[in-house]
Amino acid sequence: MGARDRSPVGEDRPGGSPPGLEESLQAVGKGDRGAFERVYEVLAPRVFGLVLRVLRDRAHSEEVAQEVLVEVWRSAARFEPDKGSALAWVLTIAHRRAIDRVRAAQAGTDREERAARLEPHRFFDEVSELVVGRLEGERLRRCLNNLTELQRESVTFAYYGGYSYREVAELVKAPLGTVKTRMRDGLIRLRDCLGVDR
Amino acid sequence: MKRREGGFDPHTLAGAYALDAIDDEGERRRFERHLAGCAECAQETATLGETVARLGAAVVAEPPPGLRERVLAEIEQVRQLPPTVPPAPLARRVWRVTWRPWLAAVSVTAALAVVAGLGVTTVQARQELEQARRVGQQIAAVLSADDARAVTAPAAVSSAGSGRGRGMLVLSRSQGALVFWAAGLGDPPAGRVYQLWQLAPGRITSAGLLASSGSGGTVPVLSTIRADAEQVGVTVEPAGGSRQPSSTPLLLVDMPVA
Repeated sequence: MGARDRSPVGEDRPGGSPPGLEESLQAVGKGDRGAFERVYEVLAPRVFGLVLRVLRDRAHSEEVAQEVLVEVWRSAARFEPDKGSALAWVLTIAHRRAIDRVRAAQAGTDREERAARLEPHRFFDEVSELVVGRLEGERLRRCLNNLTELQRESVTFAYYGGYSYREVAELVKAPLGTVKTRMRDGLIRLRDCLGVDR
Repeated sequence: MKRREGGFDPHTLAGAYALDAIDDEGERRRFERHLAGCAECAQETATLGETVARLGAAVVAEPPPGLRERVLAEIEQVRQLPPTVPPAPLARRVWRVTWRPWLAAVSVTAALAVVAGLGVTTVQARQELEQARRVGQQIAAVLSADDARAVTAPAAVSSAGSGRGRGMLVLSRSQGALVFWAAGLGDPPAGRVYQLWQLAPGRITSAGLLASSGSGGTVPVLSTIRADAEQVGVTVEPAGGSRQPSSTPLLLVDMPVA
Protein backbone atom coordinates (compact mmCIF):
# COMPACT_ATOMS: atom_id res chain seq x y z
CA MET A 1 0.00 0.00 0.00
CA GLY A 2 1.20 3.51 -0.67
CA ALA A 3 3.43 4.99 -3.35
CA ARG A 4 6.03 2.72 -4.89
CA ASP A 5 8.97 4.78 -5.97
CA ARG A 6 10.64 2.03 -7.98
CA SER A 7 7.57 1.21 -10.04
CA PRO A 8 6.94 2.77 -13.44
CA VAL A 9 3.85 4.47 -12.07
CA GLY A 10 6.04 6.60 -9.84
CA GLU A 11 7.67 8.38 -12.76
CA ASP A 12 7.56 12.12 -12.84
CA ARG A 13 5.93 12.85 -16.08
CA PRO A 14 3.77 15.84 -16.88
CA GLY A 15 1.59 14.05 -19.41
CA GLY A 16 -1.49 11.96 -18.78
CA SER A 17 -0.34 8.46 -19.66
CA PRO A 18 2.87 6.59 -18.97
CA PRO A 19 4.99 6.25 -22.14
CA GLY A 20 3.88 3.57 -24.55
CA LEU A 21 0.57 2.90 -22.85
CA GLU A 22 -1.51 4.00 -25.87
CA GLU A 23 0.43 1.71 -28.21
CA SER A 24 0.34 -1.23 -25.81
CA LEU A 25 -3.39 -0.81 -25.30
CA GLN A 26 -3.96 -0.80 -29.04
CA ALA A 27 -1.93 -4.02 -29.28
CA VAL A 28 -4.12 -5.48 -26.54
CA GLY A 29 -7.10 -4.62 -28.71
CA LYS A 30 -5.67 -6.96 -31.33
CA GLY A 31 -5.45 -9.81 -28.85
CA ASP A 32 -1.79 -9.40 -27.86
CA ARG A 33 -1.45 -11.11 -24.46
CA GLY A 34 2.14 -10.00 -23.98
CA ALA A 35 1.01 -6.41 -24.40
CA PHE A 36 -1.74 -7.02 -21.87
CA GLU A 37 0.81 -8.21 -19.31
CA ARG A 38 2.84 -5.03 -19.82
CA VAL A 39 -0.31 -2.94 -19.54
CA TYR A 40 -1.26 -4.83 -16.40
CA GLU A 41 1.99 -3.88 -14.66
CA VAL A 42 1.35 -0.21 -15.27
CA LEU A 43 -2.36 -0.19 -14.68
CA ALA A 44 -3.01 -2.60 -11.83
CA PRO A 45 -1.57 -0.38 -9.04
CA ARG A 46 -3.49 2.59 -10.39
CA VAL A 47 -6.75 0.75 -10.89
CA PHE A 48 -6.54 -0.95 -7.52
CA GLY A 49 -5.45 2.28 -5.83
CA LEU A 50 -8.35 4.26 -7.24
CA VAL A 51 -10.96 1.61 -6.56
CA LEU A 52 -9.67 1.15 -3.02
CA ARG A 53 -9.76 4.89 -2.45
CA VAL A 54 -13.42 5.01 -3.38
CA LEU A 55 -14.61 1.74 -1.85
CA ARG A 56 -12.31 1.54 1.19
CA ASP A 57 -12.87 -2.18 1.49
CA ARG A 58 -9.98 -4.32 0.26
CA ALA A 59 -12.01 -7.41 -0.60
CA HIS A 60 -14.57 -5.45 -2.62
CA SER A 61 -11.82 -3.42 -4.24
CA GLU A 62 -10.02 -6.54 -5.32
CA GLU A 63 -13.16 -7.86 -7.01
CA VAL A 64 -13.85 -4.58 -8.75
CA ALA A 65 -10.21 -4.14 -9.84
CA GLN A 66 -10.31 -7.61 -11.38
CA GLU A 67 -13.52 -6.73 -13.26
CA VAL A 68 -11.96 -3.52 -14.52
CA LEU A 69 -8.73 -5.14 -15.71
CA VAL A 70 -10.66 -7.87 -17.51
CA GLU A 71 -12.84 -5.15 -19.03
CA VAL A 72 -9.70 -3.45 -20.32
CA TRP A 73 -8.82 -6.68 -22.11
CA ARG A 74 -12.34 -7.11 -23.40
CA SER A 75 -12.88 -3.66 -24.83
CA ALA A 76 -9.34 -2.49 -25.65
CA ALA A 77 -10.25 -2.39 -29.35
CA ARG A 78 -12.76 0.33 -28.50
CA PHE A 79 -10.15 2.64 -27.04
CA GLU A 80 -9.90 5.64 -29.36
CA PRO A 81 -6.63 7.53 -28.90
CA ASP A 82 -7.96 10.67 -30.53
CA LYS A 83 -10.64 10.96 -27.88
CA GLY A 84 -8.34 10.95 -24.87
CA SER A 85 -5.38 9.30 -23.20
CA ALA A 86 -5.23 5.59 -22.46
CA LEU A 87 -4.87 6.22 -18.76
CA ALA A 88 -7.96 8.43 -18.70
CA TRP A 89 -9.88 5.74 -20.57
CA VAL A 90 -8.92 3.03 -18.08
CA LEU A 91 -9.39 5.17 -14.98
CA THR A 92 -12.80 6.26 -16.24
CA ILE A 93 -13.83 2.60 -16.43
CA ALA A 94 -12.34 1.96 -12.98
CA HIS A 95 -14.05 4.93 -11.39
CA ARG A 96 -17.41 4.09 -12.94
CA ARG A 97 -17.22 0.49 -11.77
CA ALA A 98 -16.32 1.64 -8.27
CA ILE A 99 -19.19 4.12 -8.27
CA ASP A 100 -21.58 1.44 -9.55
CA ARG A 101 -20.54 -0.72 -6.61
CA VAL A 102 -21.06 2.17 -4.18
CA ARG A 103 -24.52 2.90 -5.54
CA ALA A 104 -25.54 -0.75 -5.65
CA ALA A 105 -24.47 -1.21 -2.06
CA GLN A 106 -26.10 2.05 -1.08
CA ALA A 107 -29.64 0.70 -1.16
CA GLY A 108 -28.77 -1.85 1.49
CA THR A 109 -26.47 0.32 3.55
CA ASP A 110 -27.58 1.89 6.76
CA ARG A 111 -28.01 5.62 6.38
CA GLU A 112 -26.25 6.29 9.65
CA GLU A 113 -23.28 4.28 8.61
CA ARG A 114 -23.14 6.36 5.44
CA ALA A 115 -23.46 9.55 7.43
CA ALA A 116 -20.48 8.42 9.48
CA ARG A 117 -18.43 8.33 6.31
CA LEU A 118 -19.22 11.95 5.68
CA GLU A 119 -16.27 13.48 7.40
CA PRO A 120 -15.28 16.73 5.78
CA HIS A 121 -11.60 17.30 4.95
CA ARG A 122 -10.85 13.64 5.19
CA PHE A 123 -10.55 12.76 1.54
CA PHE A 124 -8.22 15.50 0.56
CA ASP A 125 -5.89 14.87 3.48
CA GLU A 126 -5.71 11.18 2.79
CA VAL A 127 -5.31 11.75 -0.88
CA SER A 128 -2.46 14.14 -0.42
CA GLU A 129 -0.56 11.37 1.32
CA LEU A 130 -1.23 8.95 -1.46
CA VAL A 131 -0.26 11.09 -4.38
CA VAL A 132 2.43 9.40 -6.42
CA GLY A 133 5.55 10.81 -7.96
CA ARG A 134 7.38 13.76 -6.56
CA LEU A 135 6.90 16.43 -9.18
CA GLU A 136 3.56 15.22 -10.48
CA GLY A 137 2.21 14.77 -6.96
CA GLU A 138 3.52 18.11 -5.83
CA ARG A 139 1.91 19.74 -8.80
CA LEU A 140 -1.48 18.16 -8.19
CA ARG A 141 -1.31 19.12 -4.55
CA ARG A 142 -0.43 22.69 -5.45
CA CYS A 143 -3.22 22.87 -8.03
CA LEU A 144 -5.76 21.45 -5.61
CA ASN A 145 -4.69 24.04 -3.06
CA ASN A 146 -5.30 26.63 -5.73
CA LEU A 147 -9.02 25.89 -5.67
CA THR A 148 -11.46 27.53 -3.31
CA GLU A 149 -12.40 25.33 -0.40
CA LEU A 150 -15.84 24.63 -1.81
CA GLN A 151 -14.42 23.77 -5.23
CA ARG A 152 -11.87 21.44 -3.72
CA GLU A 153 -14.41 19.75 -1.48
CA SER A 154 -16.95 19.37 -4.26
CA VAL A 155 -14.40 17.79 -6.58
CA THR A 156 -12.62 15.52 -4.11
CA PHE A 157 -15.70 14.37 -2.20
CA ALA A 158 -17.34 13.39 -5.44
CA TYR A 159 -14.30 11.75 -7.00
CA TYR A 160 -12.53 10.09 -4.11
CA GLY A 161 -15.54 9.75 -1.87
CA GLY A 162 -17.85 8.42 -4.54
CA TYR A 163 -20.64 10.84 -3.68
CA SER A 164 -23.20 12.18 -6.09
CA TYR A 165 -23.51 15.94 -6.39
CA ARG A 166 -26.72 15.75 -4.36
CA GLU A 167 -24.87 13.98 -1.56
CA VAL A 168 -22.01 16.43 -1.77
CA ALA A 169 -24.49 19.30 -1.49
CA GLU A 170 -25.89 17.75 1.66
CA LEU A 171 -22.41 17.17 2.98
CA VAL A 172 -21.10 20.67 2.47
CA LYS A 173 -24.46 22.32 3.21
CA ALA A 174 -24.58 24.19 -0.08
CA PRO A 175 -27.36 24.48 -2.67
CA LEU A 176 -27.39 21.89 -5.45
CA GLY A 177 -26.83 24.46 -8.17
CA THR A 178 -23.81 25.84 -6.35
CA VAL A 179 -22.23 22.42 -5.98
CA LYS A 180 -22.76 21.59 -9.66
CA THR A 181 -21.18 24.88 -10.63
CA ARG A 182 -18.24 24.44 -8.22
CA MET A 183 -17.58 20.98 -9.64
CA ARG A 184 -17.37 22.42 -13.09
CA ASP A 185 -15.39 25.57 -12.41
CA GLY A 186 -13.19 23.71 -9.94
CA LEU A 187 -12.29 21.15 -12.59
CA ILE A 188 -11.72 23.89 -15.16
CA ARG A 189 -9.32 25.64 -12.81
CA LEU A 190 -7.61 22.37 -12.03
CA ARG A 191 -7.35 21.55 -15.73
CA ASP A 192 -5.75 24.89 -16.52
CA CYS A 193 -3.38 24.63 -13.57
CA LEU A 194 -2.29 21.12 -14.56
CA GLY A 195 -1.95 22.11 -18.20
CA VAL A 196 -4.26 19.37 -19.45
CA ASP A 197 -4.46 20.05 -23.14
CA ARG A 198 -7.01 17.58 -24.32
CA MET B 1 -29.96 32.98 -12.71
CA LYS B 2 -32.24 31.95 -15.46
CA ARG B 3 -32.59 28.37 -14.24
CA ARG B 4 -33.85 27.17 -10.93
CA GLU B 5 -32.58 24.06 -9.24
CA GLY B 6 -35.29 21.87 -10.67
CA GLY B 7 -34.56 23.06 -14.21
CA PHE B 8 -32.14 21.37 -16.52
CA ASP B 9 -29.22 23.45 -17.63
CA PRO B 10 -26.91 20.90 -19.19
CA HIS B 11 -23.86 23.14 -19.21
CA THR B 12 -23.45 23.22 -15.46
CA LEU B 13 -23.45 19.42 -15.34
CA ALA B 14 -20.16 18.91 -17.18
CA GLY B 15 -18.17 18.79 -13.93
CA ALA B 16 -20.54 16.47 -12.11
CA TYR B 17 -20.65 14.24 -15.18
CA ALA B 18 -16.88 13.99 -15.45
CA LEU B 19 -16.75 13.11 -11.75
CA ASP B 20 -19.42 10.37 -12.11
CA ALA B 21 -21.43 12.38 -9.61
CA ILE B 22 -24.79 12.25 -11.40
CA ASP B 23 -26.71 9.45 -9.75
CA ASP B 24 -29.96 10.11 -11.60
CA GLU B 25 -29.92 7.89 -14.69
CA GLY B 26 -32.37 10.10 -16.59
CA GLU B 27 -30.38 13.22 -15.87
CA ARG B 28 -27.19 11.55 -17.04
CA ARG B 29 -28.84 10.40 -20.27
CA ARG B 30 -30.19 13.86 -20.95
CA PHE B 31 -26.72 15.27 -20.48
CA GLU B 32 -25.26 12.69 -22.86
CA ARG B 33 -27.91 13.52 -25.46
CA HIS B 34 -26.99 17.15 -25.05
CA LEU B 35 -23.31 16.31 -25.57
CA ALA B 36 -24.12 14.52 -28.80
CA GLY B 37 -25.41 17.77 -30.27
CA CYS B 38 -23.00 20.26 -28.69
CA ALA B 39 -19.42 19.94 -29.89
CA GLU B 40 -18.18 22.61 -27.54
CA CYS B 41 -19.70 20.87 -24.53
CA ALA B 42 -18.31 17.51 -25.65
CA GLN B 43 -14.89 19.08 -25.95
CA GLU B 44 -15.12 20.64 -22.50
CA THR B 45 -16.37 17.42 -20.96
CA ALA B 46 -13.50 15.51 -22.58
CA THR B 47 -10.90 17.86 -21.10
CA LEU B 48 -12.56 17.65 -17.70
CA GLY B 49 -12.49 13.86 -18.02
CA GLU B 50 -8.73 14.04 -18.63
CA THR B 51 -8.39 16.29 -15.61
CA VAL B 52 -10.33 13.89 -13.45
CA ALA B 53 -8.05 11.10 -14.65
CA ARG B 54 -5.12 13.03 -13.15
CA LEU B 55 -6.88 12.80 -9.82
CA GLY B 56 -7.29 9.10 -10.39
CA ALA B 57 -3.67 8.64 -11.42
CA ALA B 58 -2.57 10.22 -8.17
CA VAL B 59 -3.57 7.24 -6.09
CA VAL B 60 -1.81 3.92 -6.29
CA ALA B 61 -1.87 0.89 -4.10
CA GLU B 62 0.05 -2.35 -4.29
CA PRO B 63 -2.41 -4.81 -5.86
CA PRO B 64 -3.08 -7.99 -3.87
CA PRO B 65 -0.70 -10.83 -4.78
CA GLY B 66 -3.19 -13.18 -6.44
CA LEU B 67 -4.82 -10.54 -8.65
CA ARG B 68 -2.45 -10.80 -11.59
CA GLU B 69 -2.88 -14.57 -11.94
CA ARG B 70 -6.64 -14.34 -11.61
CA VAL B 71 -6.88 -11.61 -14.21
CA LEU B 72 -4.60 -13.43 -16.65
CA ALA B 73 -6.57 -16.64 -16.13
CA GLU B 74 -9.89 -14.88 -16.62
CA ILE B 75 -8.98 -13.19 -19.88
CA GLU B 76 -8.38 -16.62 -21.37
CA GLN B 77 -12.14 -17.11 -21.10
CA VAL B 78 -13.15 -13.67 -22.32
CA ARG B 79 -13.88 -12.88 -25.91
CA GLN B 80 -12.72 -9.43 -26.96
CA LEU B 81 -15.16 -6.91 -28.36
CA PRO B 82 -14.68 -5.75 -31.92
CA PRO B 83 -13.82 -2.09 -32.42
CA THR B 84 -16.71 0.27 -32.86
CA VAL B 85 -17.66 1.11 -36.46
CA PRO B 86 -14.53 2.30 -38.27
CA PRO B 87 -14.51 6.02 -38.92
CA ALA B 88 -15.84 7.08 -42.31
CA PRO B 89 -13.39 8.53 -44.82
CA LEU B 90 -12.95 12.26 -44.65
CA ALA B 91 -15.04 13.07 -47.71
CA ARG B 92 -17.95 11.13 -46.31
CA ARG B 93 -17.65 12.88 -42.98
CA VAL B 94 -17.92 16.25 -44.63
CA TRP B 95 -20.89 15.01 -46.52
CA ARG B 96 -22.58 13.81 -43.37
CA VAL B 97 -21.90 16.97 -41.45
CA THR B 98 -23.44 18.93 -44.28
CA TRP B 99 -26.51 16.76 -44.46
CA ARG B 100 -27.25 15.98 -40.86
CA PRO B 101 -29.37 19.07 -40.26
CA TRP B 102 -31.70 17.59 -42.82
CA LEU B 103 -32.60 14.78 -40.46
CA ALA B 104 -34.88 16.80 -38.28
CA ALA B 105 -36.16 19.01 -41.07
CA VAL B 106 -37.03 16.17 -43.38
CA SER B 107 -38.89 14.03 -40.89
CA VAL B 108 -40.84 16.98 -39.56
CA THR B 109 -41.70 18.04 -43.08
CA ALA B 110 -42.91 14.55 -43.84
CA ALA B 111 -45.07 14.44 -40.73
CA LEU B 112 -46.52 17.89 -41.31
CA ALA B 113 -47.33 17.15 -44.91
CA VAL B 114 -49.20 14.02 -43.94
CA VAL B 115 -51.14 15.90 -41.29
CA ALA B 116 -51.91 18.80 -43.62
CA GLY B 117 -53.25 16.45 -46.26
CA LEU B 118 -55.60 14.72 -43.86
CA GLY B 119 -58.95 16.32 -43.23
CA VAL B 120 -60.10 12.96 -41.86
CA THR B 121 -61.32 11.64 -38.55
CA THR B 122 -59.16 11.99 -35.46
CA VAL B 123 -58.64 8.27 -35.05
CA GLN B 124 -57.34 8.11 -38.56
CA ALA B 125 -55.35 11.27 -37.95
CA ARG B 126 -53.68 9.67 -34.98
CA GLN B 127 -52.89 6.56 -36.95
CA GLU B 128 -51.56 8.63 -39.77
CA LEU B 129 -49.45 10.66 -37.40
CA GLU B 130 -48.05 7.51 -35.84
CA GLN B 131 -47.33 6.23 -39.31
CA ALA B 132 -45.68 9.50 -40.24
CA ARG B 133 -43.57 9.34 -37.11
CA ARG B 134 -42.42 5.84 -38.01
CA VAL B 135 -41.68 6.84 -41.56
CA GLY B 136 -39.86 9.90 -40.28
CA GLN B 137 -37.68 7.70 -38.10
CA GLN B 138 -36.96 5.36 -40.99
CA ILE B 139 -36.09 8.28 -43.22
CA ALA B 140 -33.78 9.60 -40.53
CA ALA B 141 -32.19 6.15 -40.24
CA VAL B 142 -31.46 6.07 -43.97
CA LEU B 143 -30.10 9.61 -44.06
CA SER B 144 -27.83 9.02 -41.09
CA ALA B 145 -26.70 5.52 -42.02
CA ASP B 146 -22.93 5.10 -42.21
CA ASP B 147 -23.23 3.84 -45.76
CA ALA B 148 -25.72 6.46 -46.91
CA ARG B 149 -24.99 7.70 -50.44
CA ALA B 150 -26.56 10.72 -52.00
CA VAL B 151 -27.11 11.45 -55.68
CA THR B 152 -28.93 14.29 -57.33
CA ALA B 153 -30.07 14.54 -60.92
CA PRO B 154 -31.69 17.30 -62.90
CA ALA B 155 -35.14 16.84 -64.39
CA ALA B 156 -35.13 16.08 -68.12
CA VAL B 157 -37.71 18.71 -68.97
CA SER B 158 -38.22 22.04 -67.30
CA SER B 159 -41.36 22.43 -65.34
CA ALA B 160 -43.70 25.23 -66.15
CA GLY B 161 -42.03 28.49 -65.30
CA SER B 162 -40.09 27.30 -62.26
CA GLY B 163 -36.79 26.37 -63.85
CA ARG B 164 -35.37 22.91 -63.93
CA GLY B 165 -36.28 20.61 -61.11
CA ARG B 166 -33.95 18.26 -59.32
CA GLY B 167 -34.40 14.82 -57.87
CA MET B 168 -32.52 13.85 -54.74
CA LEU B 169 -31.86 10.26 -53.82
CA VAL B 170 -30.29 9.03 -50.60
CA LEU B 171 -29.76 5.31 -50.39
CA SER B 172 -28.46 3.03 -47.67
CA ARG B 173 -27.76 -0.60 -48.51
CA SER B 174 -27.41 -1.45 -44.82
CA GLN B 175 -30.91 -0.06 -44.20
CA GLY B 176 -32.15 -1.65 -47.40
CA ALA B 177 -34.03 1.53 -48.18
CA LEU B 178 -33.90 4.72 -50.15
CA VAL B 179 -35.32 8.17 -49.63
CA PHE B 180 -36.27 10.32 -52.58
CA TRP B 181 -37.55 13.81 -52.91
CA ALA B 182 -37.64 16.45 -55.63
CA ALA B 183 -37.28 20.19 -55.68
CA GLY B 184 -38.39 22.73 -58.27
CA LEU B 185 -40.62 20.36 -60.20
CA GLY B 186 -43.66 22.57 -59.82
CA ASP B 187 -47.10 21.15 -59.12
CA PRO B 188 -48.31 18.36 -61.39
CA PRO B 189 -51.12 19.26 -63.81
CA ALA B 190 -54.64 19.21 -62.32
CA GLY B 191 -55.87 15.65 -61.68
CA ARG B 192 -52.38 14.23 -62.04
CA VAL B 193 -49.71 13.12 -59.57
CA TYR B 194 -45.99 12.52 -59.51
CA GLN B 195 -45.15 8.86 -59.06
CA LEU B 196 -41.78 7.36 -58.16
CA TRP B 197 -40.53 4.13 -59.73
CA GLN B 198 -37.68 1.72 -59.21
CA LEU B 199 -36.27 0.44 -62.47
CA ALA B 200 -34.63 -2.97 -62.67
CA PRO B 201 -33.71 -4.64 -65.98
CA GLY B 202 -37.02 -5.75 -67.48
CA ARG B 203 -39.05 -4.71 -64.46
CA ILE B 204 -40.44 -1.43 -63.17
CA THR B 205 -42.15 -1.23 -59.81
CA SER B 206 -43.90 1.67 -58.11
CA ALA B 207 -42.08 3.27 -55.20
CA GLY B 208 -45.01 5.42 -54.20
CA LEU B 209 -46.63 8.73 -54.98
CA LEU B 210 -44.77 11.96 -54.38
CA ALA B 211 -46.89 14.37 -52.39
CA SER B 212 -46.35 18.05 -53.03
CA SER B 213 -44.47 19.91 -50.31
CA GLY B 214 -46.34 23.07 -51.25
CA SER B 215 -43.25 24.87 -52.51
CA GLY B 216 -42.83 23.28 -55.90
CA GLY B 217 -41.08 20.25 -54.49
CA THR B 218 -42.18 16.96 -53.03
CA VAL B 219 -42.19 15.43 -49.60
CA PRO B 220 -39.55 12.73 -49.06
CA VAL B 221 -40.70 9.23 -49.83
CA LEU B 222 -39.23 6.14 -48.24
CA SER B 223 -39.00 2.96 -50.29
CA THR B 224 -37.48 -0.46 -49.81
CA ILE B 225 -34.73 -1.12 -52.33
CA ARG B 226 -35.93 -3.73 -54.86
CA ALA B 227 -33.61 -6.47 -56.01
CA ASP B 228 -31.62 -5.49 -59.12
CA ALA B 229 -33.01 -1.96 -59.16
CA GLU B 230 -30.58 0.34 -60.95
CA GLN B 231 -32.44 3.62 -61.23
CA VAL B 232 -35.32 5.54 -59.79
CA GLY B 233 -37.54 7.66 -62.00
CA VAL B 234 -40.44 10.08 -61.68
CA THR B 235 -43.42 10.19 -64.04
CA VAL B 236 -46.69 12.12 -64.15
CA GLU B 237 -49.63 9.77 -63.68
CA PRO B 238 -53.39 10.03 -63.28
CA ALA B 239 -54.59 10.74 -59.73
CA GLY B 240 -54.19 7.61 -57.60
CA GLY B 241 -51.15 6.50 -59.54
CA SER B 242 -50.61 3.74 -62.07
CA ARG B 243 -49.48 0.12 -61.95
CA GLN B 244 -46.92 0.80 -64.63
CA PRO B 245 -45.63 4.16 -65.83
CA SER B 246 -47.78 5.65 -68.57
CA SER B 247 -45.48 8.49 -69.58
CA THR B 248 -41.81 9.15 -70.13
CA PRO B 249 -39.88 9.93 -66.93
CA LEU B 250 -39.40 13.55 -65.92
CA LEU B 251 -36.18 12.51 -64.33
CA LEU B 252 -34.06 9.42 -63.78
CA VAL B 253 -31.46 8.94 -61.07
CA ASP B 254 -28.87 6.18 -61.10
CA MET B 255 -28.73 4.28 -57.83
CA PRO B 256 -25.23 4.16 -56.36
CA VAL B 257 -23.93 0.62 -56.35
CA ALA B 258 -22.14 0.25 -52.99
